Order: sequence, then structure tokens, then C-alpha cells
Amino acid sequence: MYRIWYYFREAFASIWRNLSLTLAAIFTVAISLALVGSSLLVREGAERATAQFQEGVEFIVFMNADATVEQDDAIRDVLENSPAINDYAYVNQEQAYEEFSTLFSDKPDLVNSVSPAVMPPSYRIVPTDPSAANVTELARQFANQPGVKEVATATEAIRQIDDFSTRVSQALLIAAVVLVVVSALLILNTVFTAIGARRQEIEVMKLVGATNWFIRIPFMVEGTIHGLIGAALAIPALFVVDNKVLAFFQESDAVPLFRGFAVPDGFVWDTSIWLLLIGGAVGMIGSAIAVTRYLDV
Amino acid sequence: MIRLENVTKVYKGDVTALRGVNLEIQRGEFVFLVGQSGSGKSTFIRLLNREEVADSGKILLAGKDLGSLRSWSVPALRRNIGCIFQDYKLLEKKTVQENIAFALEVIGQPRPLIRKNVPAILDLVGLSQKADRFPDELSGGEQQRVSIARAFANRPTVMLADEPTGNLDPSTSVGIMKLLDLINRRGTTVVMATHDRSIVNSMQRRVIELDRGVVIRDDTHGIYDEPNGVYE
Repeated sequence: MYRIWYYFREAFASIWRNLSLTLAAIFTVAISLALVGSSLLVREGAERATAQFQEGVEFIVFMNADATVEQDDAIRDVLENSPAINDYAYVNQEQAYEEFSTLFSDKPDLVNSVSPAVMPPSYRIVPTDPSAANVTELARQFANQPGVKEVATATEAIRQIDDFSTRVSQALLIAAVVLVVVSALLILNTVFTAIGARRQEIEVMKLVGATNWFIRIPFMVEGTIHGLIGAALAIPALFVVDNKVLAFFQESDAVPLFRGFAVPDGFVWDTSIWLLLIGGAVGMIGSAIAVTRYLDV
Repeated sequence: MIRLENVTKVYKGDVTALRGVNLEIQRGEFVFLVGQSGSGKSTFIRLLNREEVADSGKILLAGKDLGSLRSWSVPALRRNIGCIFQDYKLLEKKTVQENIAFALEVIGQPRPLIRKNVPAILDLVGLSQKADRFPDELSGGEQQRVSIARAFANRPTVMLADEPTGNLDPSTSVGIMKLLDLINRRGTTVVMATHDRSIVNSMQRRVIELDRGVVIRDDTHGIYDEPNGVYE
């Protein structure tokens, strides 16, 4: 017990002695982990946004919320009788709202911002021939029908979202990986400096017979603290990304599927835990390298 | 207590520090290592402390074979050995009593025991009045006393001293030797490397003389100079 107190006391004394380098290391960890987390959020958002395209659904015909019964019947008539259509499902406004609220059950703000009346009813359509050329042609025909707001094809919509999210999340991830390596090096360097500042103490410790782990552990605690504090700073950034950036896509009308571009809070918290684990691991690994390379014990 | 069998140590660049050294030191002995600079005295001390490992031969200390000692066993060995140096190696930012407490703290002694031990050891070396001073507020002799207190705090069975009076004037040196003699009389084996002719001559203890890594003399009640009549 006393020994644990000793490790932490030494680690914090060292952090205080070496504050500017420590802050540089911590902020680098924070920035890199914020990017890692954002990348995960964007990817998860994309997966959720495209969740409606499942079980062979290749395109969705969104009707205007105020489409007339005649317009609706005309569409339904084609779907029932055309040999090009294998199957379809109608999602009315109530159901669309239902689905939306289930998907975002832990985001009451988002759910409250819409009502059944603004949700477009839609037909989810499984064509007989799912080839891209056929789907594109069918989508073009439906798009010209009266009462149709928009047609989202799986190929196009999913490609749009996938392209977008892959590009964003990959760019974030590459930047994040580079920065994670940079932060491990910065932690290594900070711990190295801390070792230098305590060279005499370490010499005396070795002389009087302190064990190697007794000498090493305070430095590893120090590095791990850098990683954990950095991760803790990255977590609020994650919620900002969730609430501002992803919300921006949800509110944009450019692509209707972006409306589904949101992740539940539970996922943000899970990601936060991952960031803490990654931060702690980066700190521990960086400092472990420093103590094995420079401590000579 | 300490036995060397045919010990050889060669540094990089083919500098032979010790060559074929055989000797035995009994528990409770007081031994001077003498010889010119570069004769191998410091290497001898460093081998016993396992800061260096012999290239060939065998060194036994307190029943342990230092050559085959695993690195994680070295701390246990060092807890049994006190070391003092010409430059004291005190921590400048800690007070006298903190310096001693630190040495006990880092080997895991419980705090209540440390609080009891530190004043006792300060009393032994005669520095009770200066417990809260910093090393740079002390004279050289006082600093060496602190370093002896630190080395002796854990009651080691062996005390290794590398030129402990090298930076001290003769009268201060006498005080340090009295202290080492006191520690020796309490049962601790003392091995001291020194250049100090008058100290060796006045103590009349065992003298081992090294010359270019070879033991050329081993007298039970020796003096610094070889008793061949030239110097007497």
C-alpha cells in the first residue's frame, strides 16, 4: 500500500518538475485519440445510415409527405404488377418514425426534432434483377412519377455514404496513427528527460539495492498517466464531434440517407473507454521503452 | 566471507585491470587495498559490488557466486553491502536525514522503522545536530559521515570504501577512520581502497598491495610501504 503511494508520489513529482514537456505529450495524445475516436464515429454513423438497405432492398422510393392517394396508388400498382419487381415493403410515416426513434432511442433530442408528419413514407423495393444498370434504370423511371420526392438506390446512396465515410474516416485514421506514434515518442522522450533529472537518485537507489522494478515503476506510472490524461481530454472532443459534426449531416437535406447519420450515446461511451485503454497502453509502452533503453537496470 | 579465485578482469581496449587474483577475506576483517592509480583497486571494489563482472575466475561473497548471480538477485546482494566513495554521492536536494531515509525507503523498509533507525544512525556518526542540513551546508568530513551513515543504515555485513578520505585533510580523515573502525568492531567486514599512507600505517591492519592488476603483497598487520628497508 505504502509502495503504491510512493510510485504515484514520485510520478507526480516528476510530472510537476517536467511540466512543459509533459503538457506537450498529453496534448498530442489528446489530439491523436480525438481523431481515432472521430474516425470510429464516422464509420459507425455510415453503417447505421445504410442500415435500411438490407435483405435485397436495392432502392427506396421516398414519397412526398403530402402525396395524394391517387399518386400513391399509381406507384403501388406498378410495384404489384411489374415483372421487374420481385418484392416490396411499404413503410408509412408512422412506421418510419417508429424506426427512426428505435434507431436513436438514446437520442431523445434528435427524435423530438422530427414527427411522423415530416417523415416521408417510402417503398423499399427488391428488384428481380439486382444489377446496377437495371436498378439505375428503374430508379430513373420511378423518380419521374408524380408524388415521388426522391429515389435512393442502394448502389448510389450506399456508395455516396461509403465513399464519404471511408474517405473521412481513413484520412482521420491515418492522421491518428501518425499522431499516436508521435505521442508515444513524446512520452518516451518526456520519461527519458525525467530519468535524466533523477540520474543521481537512480544511482543511489541501485547502490543501496533497490529492485529494478522499484526503480522502473514510477516512470511507467508517469507515462501511463500522460496517456490517460490525454485520453480523458479527447473524450469531450468526441461528444463535440457527435453533437456538432454528425448532427450537421443529419440536418442537411443534400442526401436523404444522411438523416440516419448518427450514433447512439452508448457507442460514444464505448468509444471513450477504448480511447482510455489506447491512451493508457500508448503511455505504458512509450515509458516501458524509455526505461528499458535508458535506465540500464 | 569474501573469496576470489583466479579472478581476471579485462576492459575494452585490452586494459587488464586484474590478473589471476586469489585471496580470501574473513568475516570481520579490516582490509586496506593499496597500490598506484590504475593498479586495479577500484576494479576490485566494483567487482565485489557487482557493478562489474569478472571475465574469468570466481568471486564468492557471503556465500553467493557473483559470476552466476542473476541480475534480479543483485539488489539483494547490494542490501548486504554498504558503499562509500571519495565523492560521497549524496543527493543535494535532500537533507541529511532525508538522504539516509531515502536509502531505507527504496529498499522497502516500513516508515515506522525508518523513523526509528535514522536518528540512531545519525547518533552513531555524530551528526544528530545536523539532521536538517543540506549536504552543501556541511564540511567534507561531515558529508562523508552522512554517506557512511547511509551505507551502514541497513546494517550491511560488508562495507566497501573507495578512497573515502581522498578529498579530506589528515585530521578529518582520522575521524572518518575512527568511524569505520567502530563499524568494523560491530562485526562488519571493511574493504578500503586508499592512497593514504599515514592512515594505513597508523591502523596496522591487513594490507593487500596491487600492482598492474596483480597482488604483490598481502600482510596481516601491514603498512603502506613494502617493508624492504628502503623506506624505513
